[in-house]
Order: sequence, then C-alpha cells, then structure tokens
Amino acid sequence: MNWHLIAAQLLNGLALGSILALVALGLTITFGLLGLVNFAHGVFFMVGAYAGFVTFQYTHSFGLAVLMGALVVLVVGIVVERVVIRLFYRRPPEDQILVTFGLAIVIVEIVRAIFGGKTQLFPMPSWGMGATNLGFLVYPNYRLQVIVIAAITLAAIYLVLYKTRLGLIVRAGIDDSLIVNILGIDVTKTLLAVFVLGAMVAGFSGVIDAPIVAVDPDMGASVLIESFVVVVIGGLGSFSGSILGGIIAGEIISITTIWAPDYAQVMLYLAMALVLILRPQGLFGTEGRL
Amino acid sequence: MMLRAIGDRSTWRVELAVAVFLIAFPWVFPIIGGYANLATRILILGLFGIGMDLIFGYTGMLSFGQAAFYGTGGFVTAYLLSTGMLHNTLGALAAGTIAAACCGMIIGYLCLRQSGVYFAMLTLAFGEVFYFLENSPLAKWTGGENGLPGLPKPVIPLGFTTLHVQSNLALYYFVAILFFVGYWVARRIVRSPMGAVLRAILENPARAAAVGHNVPKYKLAVFTIAAAYAGIAGGLLGIFQGYMPPDAFSIDQSGEIIIMTIIGGAGTLIGPLVGAGLWSYLREALQNLHGVGAFWKLILGLLFIVLVTLFRRGITGGITDSIGLFRVRRRTAAAHVEEAPAVSGEVQP
Repeated sequence: MNWHLIAAQLLNGLALGSILALVALGLTITFGLLGLVNFAHGVFFMVGAYAGFVTFQYTHSFGLAVLMGALVVLVVGIVVERVVIRLFYRRPPEDQILVTFGLAIVIVEIVRAIFGGKTQLFPMPSWGMGATNLGFLVYPNYRLQVIVIAAITLAAIYLVLYKTRLGLIVRAGIDDSLIVNILGIDVTKTLLAVFVLGAMVAGFSGVIDAPIVAVDPDMGASVLIESFVVVVIGGLGSFSGSILGGIIAGEIISITTIWAPDYAQVMLYLAMALVLILRPQGLFGTEGRL
Repeated sequence: MMLRAIGDRSTWRVELAVAVFLIAFPWVFPIIGGYANLATRILILGLFGIGMDLIFGYTGMLSFGQAAFYGTGGFVTAYLLSTGMLHNTLGALAAGTIAAACCGMIIGYLCLRQSGVYFAMLTLAFGEVFYFLENSPLAKWTGGENGLPGLPKPVIPLGFTTLHVQSNLALYYFVAILFFVGYWVARRIVRSPMGAVLRAILENPARAAAVGHNVPKYKLAVFTIAAAYAGIAGGLLGIFQGYMPPDAFSIDQSGEIIIMTIIGGAGTLIGPLVGAGLWSYLREALQNLHGVGAFWKLILGLLFIVLVTLFRRGITGGITDSIGLFRVRRRTAAAHVEEAPAVSGEVQP
C-alpha cells in the first residue's frame, strides 16, 4: 500500500472539499433566507471563472482576477435578482427551480456565444507553481493555497453571518422571516443582498478552482450537482453542514479514485443515498425545516 | 385539434382527434418544412413527456432525473436488439420499459423520502449516477462514450406474418401507434380515481393524506409509471436512430423534457408533444437561419423563462384556458381547468 498516494489523495479531497463547501455554502445561504433553491448557482461559479480568466489574460494578476470574478458575478446577480428572481419569492418552489434553471441555460448560452464552447486552460498564478515538501509528501503549492484561501473565506463568511447586523437579519430570517418583516426591516434590500452574497461566493470559488479544472461553459453544471449532494449530506440551510458535507464529498471522491476511479462519482451518490435512508434531513439539518 | 384535451364529456372525441392528427401529421408537416424523421423524433419526445406530465403536471413532482429512465429503457432495448439476443422489437421494448420502471421504483423510493426542492435536487443527483454508471463501470455493455450502434429496423412477429418496418414513414407509424396507446393509457389513468387522487396530491398533499389516501404510495406508483414512459421512449429512440446515444442519460436530456413539458403545457398530456414539436422544429428552423443558428438554445431558453414567469400553463394550457372562458360548463366537476393554476399558494381552512 502506497501511503504517500493516500496522503496526497486525502489532501486532494480536502482541496476539492473546501471548494465544494464554499459553493454549497452559497447555495445554503440563498436557500436559508430566501427559501430559494438556485439552479443557476453553478452558472455563477462558471461566470466567475470566465471573468477571472479574462482578467488574468490581460493583467496577469490573480488577485485582480479573483476580484473581477466576484464583481462581475455581483453585477450579474443584481441584474438577475431585480429582473427575474424577485418576481418569484412568493411563487411555489417548483416555479423558482424552473426559472433559475431557465436562467442557467440562457446564461450558459450567452457565455458560449461570447467565448465559444471550447475548454480553455486557466494558467496557474506564478506563486501557485511548484510544490512544497511537507516532510512525508511533496505536494503542489496551489492546492495547499486553495485549502487556506477557502478556510479564510469560510471564516470571513462565518464572521459576516454571526457578528454583523446583516448576518443577524439573515439568521433571524432563516428562523422566522415573517417576524423579521414585522420588525420593519427592509426585506427587499436584505433579499437582494443575500442573493448577491450567495452568488458572489460561487463566483469567487469559480476563479479559485479554475486553475485546477480549466474553464468551459458547462463547468457549472457538475459543480451545481455536487453541491446539491453536499447540502443533502450536510443538511440544507446549515452552515456547518455545508462545510462538513463538502469535506466528506471531496474525500469520498478522492479516496475512491485511488482504488476505482470509475466509481468515484457513483460512490458519492451512494453516500448520499445512505444519508437519505438513515437521516433524511442531513447530518446537521433539523427535522421539519422543509 | 388538441384543444379539448382537458374536455369534460366527450372522452372518445379527444382520442379520435389525436388519432386523426397522428395519421395526418407526416403529410401536413412538410408544408412548414418538416419531414417524417423529425415527426418521429417529436412523437418519441412527446411519449417521454407524457410520463413527465403525469408526475409534474398532474402530481406536482418536479423530477430532474427522467433521463435516467430514458437511458435505461434505451440501453436495455438496444443491448437486447444489437446483440441479437432478441429479434422481436416489441419484446425488447417491453424489456426496456420494465427495466426502466424497476429503476424508477428504486430511485422513486429514495427520492420520495423528501418533497419539494429536495425532491428536485435528489432526482437530479440520482440522474447523474446513471450517467456515470453508463459511462464507465457499465461500458462493457453500454459502449461507454460511444453508445450502442447497430440496432436493426423493427421486426414484429404477429403470429400469422412478420412485419418488417423499413421506410421512414412506416417507422413513423410504428412510433405513432405506440404513442397513441401511451396517450390512451395515460388519459385513462388521469380520468380514473387514481388520477383524481393524483390531482388531490398536486393541490394539497396534506389534505389528500388526511382524507385517507396513501400519498407516498400514489406518488411512487405514478413515478414508476413515468419511468416506464421514459423507458419505452428511450427504447424507441435507439430503434429509430439505429443507434443508442449515451446523451440520453445526460442532465440536458432531463432538462429538455421539462422545458418541453412546460412550454407545451403541463397537466394536459398532449402539451409535451406540442412542446417537443416546437422545440425540435424551432431548433431545426433556427439552425438553418444564417446568423441565428448558434443562438437557438438561447432563444428557446428565453421563451421558457417568459412562459414560466407569465404563462404558467404553457401553450396548450393557455389555449384550453381561453376556450374555457367561452364555454358554459355543465358540471362543476369539470371545472378543474380553471382551478389548476391557483393551487399552490392556497391557504387551507
């Protein structure tokens, strides 16, 4: 048994898992307050990656690429929310799913029309090249940095959600949005802010992940589905559930890849089926939330 | 012709109208640039969509994983026929349909542990499992990324003689007969007591359960039936193309059948056929237009958003609704057409 391989895959799983946790967290925030499952969430991930890709081509600055990725998604998020989504807050969940699904198709097709359908390599930032000797293993720098960046971002989102006024409103809204309305808080603005926050997290993750996976217009779809699996495992609407679910999902994929790469994805869904049978509300979900 | 699909009294008239339409379609369709093979493809998608309509339009379950059953039915049928294990096309179709229904029962059992948004997410995720399974672990049987080529033209032994379906038009009528049977069965289902329970679940699952209906059992039953429809449609796709494509399992396929059902009109049974016709026809027509070709999916996507936002019941639903305004109803029991759009936000006493 090759322990180095296992250690490397454990770290790969952590890197993949932290990206999934970020994306799933965006999904969970949007669902938690707005009660909206955003099927266009993967598309925000993809748009972020493309915005970062273009910025990086012109400026060769990864920092700017990340910033632009988040900003472009911010703008797209605002437009989408103001024009379409806001009409759907009071509609049944099926309608919300359908309209975000339609939005995803339209945005993917717009990106395809602009950039073509080809997969394009996102160059590694210069500081991310090379590898570090961890003592027991030589491991690529960038993946280690992804883990650190994701951890910092998760911490930052935690602080926003648990230490700021916006976070207070968001969490109160998750518990009982009616009371929040009654207390006279401008819900429209809060809804917009939350939707855009969730979208930006996805766009940000898209740029961070792009040097590992390369960009193409359909990259959002698989991320969306995997983040669904994450929230089903962790429990939809739960902060810690997203993080734990993300890491579990990342590790399942990476560890299965060692022995049976063909079954890596299948294994992930089997795990999800198991959670569903044993604990339908997810590891951190509360019974009756939905 | 399909305007009375949700009619009240005249059961057989609707079936007759559909039959007349099916017979005439390949002869009328060329006037607007269609052709027999496109008509066949539309019918296959329409049959697939009937299943989608039964679960979504009539029961309110939005499944994003129907491609799993489309692919399963398709690949089982294609495997049996292309390896020569079965020569009887109907036998192979039946086997594919049963296999799809069995998968539907298992996936349905798992996904129906949740409802609403969770159900949609779960069906999407389980749909992906089938895609991955086809792609590599089962590649020995399914051909992986290449799919299964070499399906023979339909051969149907009738006892006294054996039919060999050769021409495109004959193939169209072969599919049209199966579509008609599928449509007739679905219509019987929605007009049966079971159909009434399904609509009760659509309107208010809690109330349906409270009056003593076993809601999970009905949901599982209709989900299994929908999987069977997807399965037979998948089998027909392989037979029609002579080749079973792995794309049948893709999320795009699941998404497209939803879009077709919504555009055409959910809760009408004939709506998916209208949606499939519009989708397939526009796709061909737009692709041939210079400068617009690349944007066909964008245009249809925008149309879909507009329909979801404004005309929740799609084209067929819109037509039946406006006709309903002019018609005097004889019995209140027949008024479900008007009630249907308002169900979701209803407050219970």
